Amino acid sequence: MSEVDLDPVIHSASRLRVVATLAALERGDRVSFPRLQKLLDMTAGNLSTHLRRLEEAGYVTQTKTHVGRTPATYVELSTAGRLAFERYTHTLTQLLKGAQE
Amino acid sequence: MERREPHDPGEPAYPADVDDAPPDPRSGLAIVAAQRRKVRDSDVDDRLLFGVWGVAWLVGYAAQWWTATTSPTRTATGQGGLVFAAVAVAALVVTLVHVARATHGVAGTSKQVGMMYGWAWTIGFVGQGLLVAGVVGAGGNPEVIAIVANGAACLVVGLLYMAGGALWQQLSLYLIGAWMIATAAAASLVTMPTGYLVMALAGGGGMLVAAVLAALHRRRA
Repeated sequence: MSEVDLDPVIHSASRLRVVATLAALERGDRVSFPRLQKLLDMTAGNLSTHLRRLEEAGYVTQTKTHVGRTPATYVELSTAGRLAFERYTHTLTQLLKGAQE
Repeated sequence: MERREPHDPGEPAYPADVDDAPPDPRSGLAIVAAQRRKVRDSDVDDRLLFGVWGVAWLVGYAAQWWTATTSPTRTATGQGGLVFAAVAVAALVVTLVHVARATHGVAGTSKQVGMMYGWAWTIGFVGQGLLVAGVVGAGGNPEVIAIVANGAACLVVGLLYMAGGALWQQLSLYLIGAWMIATAAAASLVTMPTGYLVMALAGGGGMLVAAVLAALHRRRA
């Protein structure tokens, strides 16, 4: 096991924070863009960029909807995204174990 | 940490991301843990809800007991009932506002589950109200009415706590539900007005203990 196994899409502190936050939600839950932004303390522009990258990789789904008359975007971790996140954290744990041995 | 190319050579390299990569596995896992905590802290706070309802039960049932000790029917007077209703409504408002804020901006499975759970409370208490109305209509004396009203209400509360504990895998919620049922059963078996005192001390006190345990559990997690 080496760092080469780390998924380059998630292997960025910012995107790891995004994915970890989405993974901490209940399975099958979506979170609104403003709430996600608050949980991450990121600028809207920054968050959008990272979400686009994650969406391109198929790790995140963004749903545009309306709450009353205001447009709202909801973000959800896809099954592939959850799997990639679990694999990523598993690799980190293994690397940490390896370093301690 | 070595530099790596993205899987697809055709993809842009995102040079900024290489600098942004967590420096080592430990800090990567720390990021994950920190965000998990952040999400949990933004969610419904069991310490707050146990605390608010613990105080409500303690004060509300103590007031009922106090007025019942001097009442010829050995049950709470209108004033005692009013205090109980006032603290219960206050606790309900705090609960609804807190839950609405904590779940704002989250949609999907947990929202549906929450709606169904919320309606179970409403339906349960409408059923309890009608049951009590039936006992009153059948000419039950004040002590019978008091025991049925309290017992049915606590059964709704206890069972829904247990269901919620099972649903969200919260052992504390599950156990406090079982404790509430045991408390209400004990309160209905002792003579009035001691039943109110059992409810205040074991019920309200039990919920305050749950609040403290929830706080300790959270600090350890």
